[in-house]
Amino acid sequence: MRPALSVRGFTKTYDGGFTAVDGLDLDVPDGSFFGLLGPNGAGKTTLIGAVCNLVRPTAGEIEVFGHPHDARNARRLVGLAEQDINLDRFLTVSEVLIYHAGFFGMARRRAKGRAEELMDVFDLTSKAKVRPTALSGGMRRRLLLARALMHEPRLLILDEPTAGVDVELRSELWEYTRKLHAAGTTILLTTHYLEEAEALCEEIALIRGGRIIARDSADGLRARYGADDIAGVYLQAMSDAAGDDRGAAR
Amino acid sequence: MSVSDVTTLPDPDAPFVEDRRGLLWLCEREVVRFLKLWMQTLIAPVMSSLLFIVVFGLALGDTIADVDGVPYKQFIVPGLVVQAILTAAYSNNSSTVFQARSDRFINDVLSSPLRWWEVNIGLAIGGVVRGLLTGILLLVLGVAITGVGVERPLVLIVATVLVLIAFAQLGVIAGIYANSWDFMAFVTSLVILPLSFLGGIFYSVDRLPGAWEVVSHVNPIFYLVQAFRIGFVGHGDVSTWLALLVLVALAAGLSAWCAWLFRTGHRLKP
Repeated sequence: MRPALSVRGFTKTYDGGFTAVDGLDLDVPDGSFFGLLGPNGAGKTTLIGAVCNLVRPTAGEIEVFGHPHDARNARRLVGLAEQDINLDRFLTVSEVLIYHAGFFGMARRRAKGRAEELMDVFDLTSKAKVRPTALSGGMRRRLLLARALMHEPRLLILDEPTAGVDVELRSELWEYTRKLHAAGTTILLTTHYLEEAEALCEEIALIRGGRIIARDSADGLRARYGADDIAGVYLQAMSDAAGDDRGAAR
Repeated sequence: MSVSDVTTLPDPDAPFVEDRRGLLWLCEREVVRFLKLWMQTLIAPVMSSLLFIVVFGLALGDTIADVDGVPYKQFIVPGLVVQAILTAAYSNNSSTVFQARSDRFINDVLSSPLRWWEVNIGLAIGGVVRGLLTGILLLVLGVAITGVGVERPLVLIVATVLVLIAFAQLGVIAGIYANSWDFMAFVTSLVILPLSFLGGIFYSVDRLPGAWEVVSHVNPIFYLVQAFRIGFVGHGDVSTWLALLVLVALAAGLSAWCAWLFRTGHRLKP
């Protein structure tokens, strides 16, 4: 079956000469809930940026459901909720949603209807005419997720969606993402919360220094590293990779 | 209602079809953005230019001799109109693009199926419409107050289109290159404003001493002012063709630069 996301030999070297990702290969199966774990600077956001046409790859091929990642057919299939709250401060909540749908070619009536549905789902209806700057942090986070879903993406990318949110909202976001996955949406999640990845993801890849160092289900990773939980797996895998790097440097 | 109730999955192999062009949505958003702040984006610059017409044209104009047979209060209107238009187009787009980059909501556009040239046009159109509305308001008021006519409307229309294109694109370019709000204020206050005033808004360069007259001809805004003056009063300090040719070159050069930025993603995408 064709993967939702296929990455082959992806390399990104920034203008200053720093190579964030070096020859990365990755397949994310259609319909999966896939976690990408790694420390800061591991290359997660660079990879996501390249998939979403926000970062120019230095080398390699990236395909979304078989389409080149920068083709219009690929871009309309991907929804992105970034880690940073990146909302237009001059628009209202409903306008943020409607214009986003518009960029994906939706007709006005349908965009309005879809915005109303998602504001209802994410409990934002009472804030429809409010600007994002007047929303609480939790509401902004929900708005980001609603915006990413406006054009009905088949692949949803969540870049640390629960960073800095309280326990209650995190639980809400988990519930939303579980339901989306149950409805068939492929989800690629990056997170620093290991228990989050363990609770949600069917498959987890550990990334370090721009390379995938391990990939399996949570159970598979625990068995492979002889760890009790995914935190133990993470620490062991990162330690092994650091050892390999030191060996290679010698 | 649950999120799963409102989730339908698109066929990944179905062709991408727009029910309404994404470009139209982006154009609409850019116009809506400045109309929400209409007092600041439309009324304030029109009032500012109007004050120049009232003070220099009506209050002091009678004490200043006609320039090339044109009453002074009418002579300054074309330059003030073009200055208001180019400032509106530039400042609108430089601020909107820089803010979109700074707050990173430009990613919403860059990750969408919009083509690079659609993003370029869409982001530029706010400045074009704002500059046009500013120019129309000032034209109406300028004509009503000073009685200046439009002797060569075709020249005025062509010049307006070219100025709007050039400075809307310049604003987008500045927004893409800027690293701080200071940069934009620097360009507006220390580049565009002095060049406008030295471009012959308030005087004919024929009256300048030799060296200064030559220097004036290096200033691109001088030709904008001349094109507008020819449109309004029928003649200027240079020929119609030279004024329009410089405008065409300016608009084409800035458009090509802007197109390159969007096509390559330079400074927009790391």
